[in-house]
Amino acid sequence: MAGIYVYSDQSRITAELISFARQTGAAAFALCFSIEQAKAIKDFGADKVYVLQGGSPLVENYGRAVADFLKSQGADLFLVGATARGRDIASRVAGHSDCGMVSDVSSVSWTEGRVSCERLMYGGAVIQEELLSGFCVVSIPAGKFEAETGESSEIVVVEVEADNRVILVDTAPIVREGADLSAADKVICVGLGIEKEEDLQLAKDLADVLGAEIGCTRGISEERHWLPVEKYIGISGAAIKPQLYISMGVSGQVQHVVGIRESKIIVAVDTNEKAPIFRAADYGIVGDLYEIIPLLTRALKKDL
Amino acid sequence: MSKTIVCYKWVKDEADIKVNPDLSVDLSKAKGKISDYDKNAIEAAVQAARLLAGKSIGLTFGTPKTKQSLKDALSRGLEEVCWINTEAAAEADGIVTSKALAAAIKKMDDVSLVICAEGASDTYARQTAPRLGALLQWPVITSVSKIQINGDILSASRKLDDCIETVKVKLPAVIAVLPEICNAPIPGLKAVMAAGKKPIAEYQAGDIGIDFTSKSQVSGLKAYAMNRKNIILEGDTSEKIASLVAALKKEGVL
Repeated sequence: MAGIYVYSDQSRITAELISFARQTGAAAFALCFSIEQAKAIKDFGADKVYVLQGGSPLVENYGRAVADFLKSQGADLFLVGATARGRDIASRVAGHSDCGMVSDVSSVSWTEGRVSCERLMYGGAVIQEELLSGFCVVSIPAGKFEAETGESSEIVVVEVEADNRVILVDTAPIVREGADLSAADKVICVGLGIEKEEDLQLAKDLADVLGAEIGCTRGISEERHWLPVEKYIGISGAAIKPQLYISMGVSGQVQHVVGIRESKIIVAVDTNEKAPIFRAADYGIVGDLYEIIPLLTRALKKDL
Repeated sequence: MSKTIVCYKWVKDEADIKVNPDLSVDLSKAKGKISDYDKNAIEAAVQAARLLAGKSIGLTFGTPKTKQSLKDALSRGLEEVCWINTEAAAEADGIVTSKALAAAIKKMDDVSLVICAEGASDTYARQTAPRLGALLQWPVITSVSKIQINGDILSASRKLDDCIETVKVKLPAVIAVLPEICNAPIPGLKAVMAAGKKPIAEYQAGDIGIDFTSKSQVSGLKAYAMNRKNIILEGDTSEKIASLVAALKKEGVL
């Protein structure tokens, strides 16, 4: 049946997408791949919840099956939560459906079969507006719409064929050291301006005084391997939204800045007065972090 | 001989983006570069080709300006590059890009592996690898942080939001790699010299035989407004620190 079809591997995002679909006035249908998922999303107001069953533990293996199902239903639009898995399956469905797709939109509207949306480009420096008409796929990050509850949806099981060429061998949860950066209230961020690994102590001392978590730029974790990869902030790493973010020796490339933009207050300390981080900051100190940071730590210790 | 293809994109350097006071964006002065994460993907392809006892080939779809990238790509250890040269690339969306790349890949024999970076540094749309899989009818693995190759079986670690997943697949396949797949060393002088002698294959739009019309129409471009205070604290060091502490207290963020 015509209407907007939605999928996310996270129930919370599924709820948000159903809510958006209903606001457009179209019928809203949710897809999932197991009865458990169907039960978790049946109270968000979808007209129906479809369970696509094909015996594969990997959602990604249903790309073609979803494309075929949406075509047979005459779907108008397919919305997918922009998680790692969601982006993958969304692009597969677009590929198999031979249709347009917009990834990771920051805003979207749908009227009379036309999608109008905005997305960020160049690591978040530029906003691009895009228009699509006809059936297409849009991936949407969490938190763009308010979830609602609704009457319990009818659950319909559809037998499909999964593509079993990629075989799941093992799944291991990611063991995070320390707290989740994306939930941290204060973050101290270390950039390549730090000369030696042992100098991370400067950041640790400041973090201890403030009760902050330590994050870093991509270079610190991936090139120098001084901190684990889950500590790097930026477009391919963590996105943070603390009350306070303090950077030391961070130049502020856009790929990093996009990850810190939701911070309430941004403080930057760097020797290069022309560093782009100062344009992204509320308060900046141009100076040697080796001099500034210990003094700041001492001043805060005395004050707090 | 087995071939490993790495797709890379010649993008405008975001560091050169000029923002006008009305928030319009000026990209005309922006220099080009190989998309940052594609450099890691190129190195991953060079290493994978070695494991497969085959050849590594770069593949790019771009405007005539993309020519500047060819030597850089070759100096990174690739043995050949293949360039789809058309002005149409400037307006290409995910569907056009993947069709152009797939058409070029179909012209090559014995391709074992196609590697893409997870996303490009301009669009970061992350569509190319899954779309290529659909077009080539090959299996796809995305978000890859590590690979192992044993004969024609590739095992991959996938870094997902909450877990590391290990999967395996029989080649040929398409993979999308995260930058942590491997480092991207800066080419040495010898490699740069050698690059000049390596073969380049060039295709024009007509050789590719696809529809270059994008499904997605770009209707506007503007700069993201960073509404920040941009206060640079002045004075000697102790004054700067005192002002910062006072400001943070006033903001209520301590």
